[in-house]
Amino acid sequence: MVDMSMNDDDLSNLIHTEASRYTASTRLRSALFAQIALAAATQPDPERAKPPAKAPVAATTGLRGGHAGASASSGRRFGWWSASIGFSLGVAMTLAALLVVPVARPPGSTANITRALDAELVADHVQSLQVGPLTQVISTDRHTVKPWFQGKLDYAPPVLDLAQEGFPLAGGRVEHVQGKAVAALVYRHRLHVLNLYVWPSNTPYTTQKSQYQGFTVMHWSDGNMQCWLVTDMDDAEVARFGQAWRAQRGRI
Amino acid sequence: VSTARSFETLVLPHLDAGYNLARWLLRDESAADDALQEASLRAFRGLGSLRGDEARPWLLRIVRNACYSYLEAQRSKRELSGLDSDALENLLAAADHLAPDPSEQLSRQQVRVSIDAAIRSLSPPLREVIVLREIEGLDYAEIAAIASIPIGTVMSRLSRARLRLRSMLDHANRPTQAFDGGHEHE
Repeated sequence: MVDMSMNDDDLSNLIHTEASRYTASTRLRSALFAQIALAAATQPDPERAKPPAKAPVAATTGLRGGHAGASASSGRRFGWWSASIGFSLGVAMTLAALLVVPVARPPGSTANITRALDAELVADHVQSLQVGPLTQVISTDRHTVKPWFQGKLDYAPPVLDLAQEGFPLAGGRVEHVQGKAVAALVYRHRLHVLNLYVWPSNTPYTTQKSQYQGFTVMHWSDGNMQCWLVTDMDDAEVARFGQAWRAQRGRI
Repeated sequence: VSTARSFETLVLPHLDAGYNLARWLLRDESAADDALQEASLRAFRGLGSLRGDEARPWLLRIVRNACYSYLEAQRSKRELSGLDSDALENLLAAADHLAPDPSEQLSRQQVRVSIDAAIRSLSPPLREVIVLREIEGLDYAEIAAIASIPIGTVMSRLSRARLRLRSMLDHANRPTQAFDGGHEHE
C-alpha cells in the first residue's frame, strides 16, 4: 500500500485522499464572528462616519495619526484603511467610554434610569464580545440552553429557536444587571451577535428602541417577561428579530 | 458595501482552508484556534489590501504569518525541546498503532495515522508546502506568494518533502522491530 516505488502522483493522491483535513469548529467560528462583529462595530464606518454637519476632514482624520493629507474625497478609502493602526486604540477608547459613562451618569428621571440601563446592557454586550465569555452554555439547541439556566436563576427564561428566521441560537450565560442575575441569550445573524437579556416583568406591552454608542437597544415586554435586545444589526433586522420572537412566543 | 459584509463574502469561504493550515503548522488545536482568531482580525483590518487578488492565498498568507509568529514565540519559550525529537516521538507513537501483523493490510484509519504522523514530522517549511500543495491543492505560484519564497524554492521543498515522506511511510509500513534502536515504548 505504501512503498518506495510510489511516484509523486501516487503520493499526492494518497495524501490528498487520506491525510486529515481539519475544519474550524462551530465554537471557533462563533468566537471569530463575535470578534469580527465587535471589530466592525467599533471601527468607524466610512459611510456612517460621514460627518453630519460637514465637520472639517482634518478634525476626524487628525485623531487617526496624521493622515489628514491622504483623506481627500478620492482618497477616503485609502485614508480610512491606512488608519487601521489606530484601531486598537479606537477599541480601547470605545470600551473606556462605554464602561465609564454609565457610572458617571447620575440616575434621576425615568428616562435617565432607562438610559442608564441601556448603557449597562451595551457595556455588558461589548464586554461579552471583547473579554468574554460570550456564552457559558454553547448550543444551538434550545432544549440544551433552557435547562442550563435551571438552578442559576429564580425564574425560567423563555429560550426560542429562531434559526428558521435567520437568527440561530449560539448559547447563553448568566449576567448581573442592576444587581440581579438575569439570563442573557446569544443569537447570531450573519456576522452580528445579538445579546438578548430576559427577566420577569409584569408591565404590559411596550416596545422601545434606542441607540447607544452606535448599538441598538430594543426593549419589549409581554406581561410575563421583559426582553432587552442589544446588537449592532441594522434597524430592519432588529425589527424582524422582535417580530420573530413575539410570533413564536405567541405560539408557545 | 460594509466591511463586515465584504469579510463575510470574501474571507469566510476560506476559513476552513486557513484553519487546516494553522492546525498543520502548529500541530495543536488550541494554538490553531488562537492563530486563526488573530489572523482573521488581521484579515479584517487589512481587507483594503485585498484588491483584485485571490482571497484564498491572501488569507492563507496572513494565517501562515500568524502561525510563524506563534512558533517563533514558542521557540524562544522552550529552546530545548526541538521540533525534530517531537516529530520522531510522534512518528514512533504512530508506528506503534500500526497493524501488529505485517501481512495484514493497513486499514484506512491506520493509513491516515501514519500519513498524518509523517507530515507532522516534517519541518514547518516542508510541512507547509505539502499541506498547501497536496491537501489544499494550491498551485506553485500561490504557494510561493503565501510563503514569500521563489517558485523554484517551492518546487525544491516539495521534492525534499516528498522524499522524506516516502521514506518515512516506507518505514512505518514495516514491522515495528524496524524501530528497535533503543526506543522503549510500552
